Formats: sequence, structure tokens, C-alpha cells
Amino acid sequence: MQPLLNVENLVKRYDGKRLVALQDELSALDGVSFSLFPATTLAVVGESGSGKSTLALCLACLEPPTAGCIWLEGKNLVALGEAERRKVRPQIQLIFQDPANSLNPRWNVLEILTEPLRLQGKFNSEGIERRASCLLEQVGLSMHIATRSPAELSGGQRQRLAIARALAPGPKLLILDEALSALDCSVQAQIANLLMELQTSLGMTYLFITHDLAMGVHIADEIAVMHQGRIVELGPAEKIVTSPHHEMTRQLLAATPSIAQATRLAREP
Amino acid sequence: MTRRVLTRWLIVLLGLHGLVVCAGFFSPYNPAEQDRNHVYLPPQLLHLVDPTGHLHFRPFVYPWKLRPDTPDLREEDTAHPLPLRFFVNGAHYRLLGVFPARLHLFGGEDTRICLLGTDAYGRDQFSRFLYGGQISLLAGFLGAALTLLLGTLVGSVAGYFGGLIDDALMRFAELFLALPWLYLLFALRAFLPLAVSPLKAFFLIIGVIGAVGWARPGRLIRGVVLSAKERDFVRAARGFGATDRYLLWNHVLPETRGVILTQAAILIPQFVLAEMTLSFLGLGVPEPVPSWGNLLSNLQQYSVLVSYWWMYLPALLMVPFFLGYLGLASSLQERTETYMIERRSLGGVT
Repeated sequence: MQPLLNVENLVKRYDGKRLVALQDELSALDGVSFSLFPATTLAVVGESGSGKSTLALCLACLEPPTAGCIWLEGKNLVALGEAERRKVRPQIQLIFQDPANSLNPRWNVLEILTEPLRLQGKFNSEGIERRASCLLEQVGLSMHIATRSPAELSGGQRQRLAIARALAPGPKLLILDEALSALDCSVQAQIANLLMELQTSLGMTYLFITHDLAMGVHIADEIAVMHQGRIVELGPAEKIVTSPHHEMTRQLLAATPSIAQATRLAREP
Repeated sequence: MTRRVLTRWLIVLLGLHGLVVCAGFFSPYNPAEQDRNHVYLPPQLLHLVDPTGHLHFRPFVYPWKLRPDTPDLREEDTAHPLPLRFFVNGAHYRLLGVFPARLHLFGGEDTRICLLGTDAYGRDQFSRFLYGGQISLLAGFLGAALTLLLGTLVGSVAGYFGGLIDDALMRFAELFLALPWLYLLFALRAFLPLAVSPLKAFFLIIGVIGAVGWARPGRLIRGVVLSAKERDFVRAARGFGATDRYLLWNHVLPETRGVILTQAAILIPQFVLAEMTLSFLGLGVPEPVPSWGNLLSNLQQYSVLVSYWWMYLPALLMVPFFLGYLGLASSLQERTETYMIERRSLGGVT
């Protein structure tokens, strides 16, 4: 089976392209490589500042990487020009941590949801309306809220709307950058279940970025542990939990009480 | 709360501007009409009670007469009250510059009624004040519009595209911030022939004060754009394949609206003052066209300053206009800030 996404030796350094450089170069990604197969989930776990969000922005073609290759179905996204990159972007959608910030507060639900459809220009106004109600239904919302502003929605509803909007352009890959972290526990579980349902029904591929190893284990097939811009450990979810190799992974495990307890129980005969 | 205060200031300003815009109706006379027999006439006070203590419902004024034993001191001639007539037909004018009309809010029967007195040519100061406001306020409006247009253009391009473009534009803006615009105006005016038509002079002033002032609002707008373009909804829209032009127009520029409105409320009175400064110095719109600066330029003469105190009155009447803009600017500022805070607190955990 061919991987959907193949990342090779991705490097991202932030240096000021200014007349006066204020600080030294900062390496956010330092040689990241992995493959992602269709209809699977890879969780990228790491502490804050480990380069997870930079990875998300680079993969979504929103930040140009300094070096390396991103192969999406045999096409190297890094080598594309700006005009071609614009055409590729809808195929990889990003869902952000804070839906209050990722939905334009001046727009209403329908305007927000149909933005990708209008930008694609494939539909007439009737088609857009139909597609919008279909998308809302997919994430468990209804057209009743079409004229509300995002401020009038609950946190869970907002994140559902963000997911519906990300599905609108028909992406091949969905990157969830701490998409559950701003929600409270019960809502987290609901959205996680929604994501897994969507994976079965649409065959969606996820890159799930989180600092919460337990959630990563719950949702993902494979887990990559990031530390200081590198992937220090990569493997199937169960294996990462039961036999961690890297110090960082052990630290993350120790910081996740539910898993730590489970493994301790497993070890005790 | 903020909204109520804002509406209140808006209503005040609308009322004041209504007076000026419909100057033809509210002023009793043509501002250029001279009356050499009544030069430097003091203001006529409106009375409701006559010397015998009777109350009248129709306001009236007393004409001025020379005191018997003095060469130039005047006193009210209480023997001949002049009642005010409302909605009288008088001098022809064009309402809003278009509709011909000759109806005035008030006027006298045969003698002129000059509530703010008259100037060196016997022209009615009240009419000149209202008509003068048209020139001065229009200069302020157009100057501010030009400045904000340039400022938004430069600020949004610099903030959005960043990098070397930003550096270059902002150094250029600093150059403009350092320019002393008054001297620049003097220099520019010096290049033009002495006698310029009023219309040309008017647009010259607007062009110069508008073109020089863009740097400050430009820098403010750049700051807003800089933070707006990093917001997730802009990134998300870029992810749907949006072009830079789409993002700027639909997501980034709407964020600058609060700053632009606040800046407008600050810049309009500032540019009205600029026009007044120039006209005061005789570099603005030339006589006999009235403008607020021209009205005040009478005060350049020592004799006027000492003998005819009522020539100050126009300055006093301008104060409410400037206070109105001050109040508008501060409540707009407050509204923009509360909007930002509300939006930030909406986020929850970050």
C-alpha cells in the first residue's frame, strides 16, 4: 500500500529576513521523517515548544520549510510555486486549537462554513446551501444555527463547525493541531468519537497533534514522540505505551496518570 | 453603556453639522452681502422682556444707536424693538448646493438682525460663521479621507507583506513624520501665483494636508494588520486556497475598521484646525469666501483685538464642534478596546 504522505528530513529554521537580525537562528524542525497511510491516524505527541505546531503549518503549506521534502501522493509540495501551492492547500486541512480564534467573529455560521466552497467556485448558490446543510449534519449540527455568530455557540459546537468547514474542500488529510485541548473533558470525548466516526465513514486520514499522550493512544494507530524538533520515537500506539525507549516518552508516560496506572497494573502479576 | 455614549456624541455632531450643511436656511443673510452703514456692529441680544416688564412670546432685538455724547460708543435703542420673524423669504441660496430656495429660519422686518454683530464691511458674522463652517469642515473631511486612504494602503501593504517592503515603507513613513507640514505648506504655496482661485486654493490645501499626514495612521493600521494576519481564521482561509488579495480584503482589513474610525474622529478636527491656520495666515481660501480661518484672521489687527470683542465669538462657537469630535474619538476608542477584550476572553484556554 502506498503512503498518502511521506515526509523526508523536514527542517524549518526561523531567521529574521530583516535588515537587522535580532536573534540567532532557531531550529523548530530538525530533520523530521515519517510516512502516513490512508485512513489511519498518526498522533504526534510532545511537550510545548517541541515543534509540533510548526510541523502542522509546514505540512499544510502555510509555512515554507527550510529543507526536506513533503510527498503527497507522489508530488513534492516543497518544490511547488506559490500558485500551485494554493491549489494544493485545500487537500490538507488544518484544525486549530482554539475555534474562537479560527472562526471569523464578524461572520455568521453559514458564511464561515461556505467560505471554502465559495473560494473553490465549483458550486452555485443553491449547491452551496445544500452542501452546507450536508456538512453540518455530518458533524452533528443543524441548519438552525446558520445565522448565529460564533460567539453564540458553545465551545464544542464551534469545534464541530471548524471540522465541518475543514471537510468542505474535500481534503485527503486532516491535521488536528491540539484540536481538543481547549475543550472540557466530556466535549473532548464527543469530538474524539466524532473524528473516529468520520474516519470510518469518509476514510479520512488524520495527523493528530497533542500534548496529551492518553488521548493520542486512544485515537491513533501510530504515535510519534517529538522532542526539540526531532521525532525521537515512532511506532504503534500499544508498543509506545508498553515498551518506551526514549527518555522523553517515559516522561510523557509518567505525566499521564491514567496510562501510568494501567501499565503499572499490567506489570504487576 | 459605551454604545449609548457613542450615540449621544454622534447626535450632537449630526446636529452641529446639520446647522452648517444647511447654512443657507439657518443663516438670515448672504455671507458676502455688505452693509457699509453698519460696520462693526456689536451683537444684538435676543430679548423676551421689554423695559416695562412685559413678557413677549416673539423674541425681539434692539437696534444699536450712538450714545449722544460719544463719537463711537453705542447703546441699545429700547424705543424701537425689532421683532424676529420666523420662516421668512430672503436672499436666494441653494440648499445643499443644489436646490434653489429663499426661505430662512428667521429674519428682521426691514432692518438687518445680526446676532453675532458685523465685520469691517458690515457683513453678518452669524451667516459668515455658518457658511465658513462648510469650507472648513469639508476641508477637514476630505483631508482626513485622503490621509486615511493613503494610510490604510501603506499600512496594510507594509503589515501584510512584511519583510523588506515593510522596512522600506516604514522608514519612508518616519521621514514623513519628521516633516514639518506647516513649513512644507508655506514652501508649496510660495511656488504658486499670489492670486489663486478659491477652488484651486481649497483643493491645494486638502491635497497637501492629506498627503503629509498619512504616516501616523499608516503605522497604527500596520500594527493592526500585523496581528490580524497571524490570526487562525486568516490561516484557515489561506488553507482553503485563498489569494492574498482575498485575505486582505475579507479578513484583515475589516479588523482595522475600529482604528480607522477612531483616527477619522481625531484627524477631522485636526485638519479643520490646519485649514484655519492657513486661512488665518492668508494662505488658504481667499476672501470674500468665508472660512473659519478667514473669520478669525480679522483678529490679526490690533484695533479689532482691542475694540471689537465680538470678533472672537466665532472662535467660541467652534468649541462645541471640536469637543464633539473629541468625545466621539474617545468613545470610539473605548468601543474598539472593549471589542478586543471581549473577543480575547471568548477564547477560553490558550
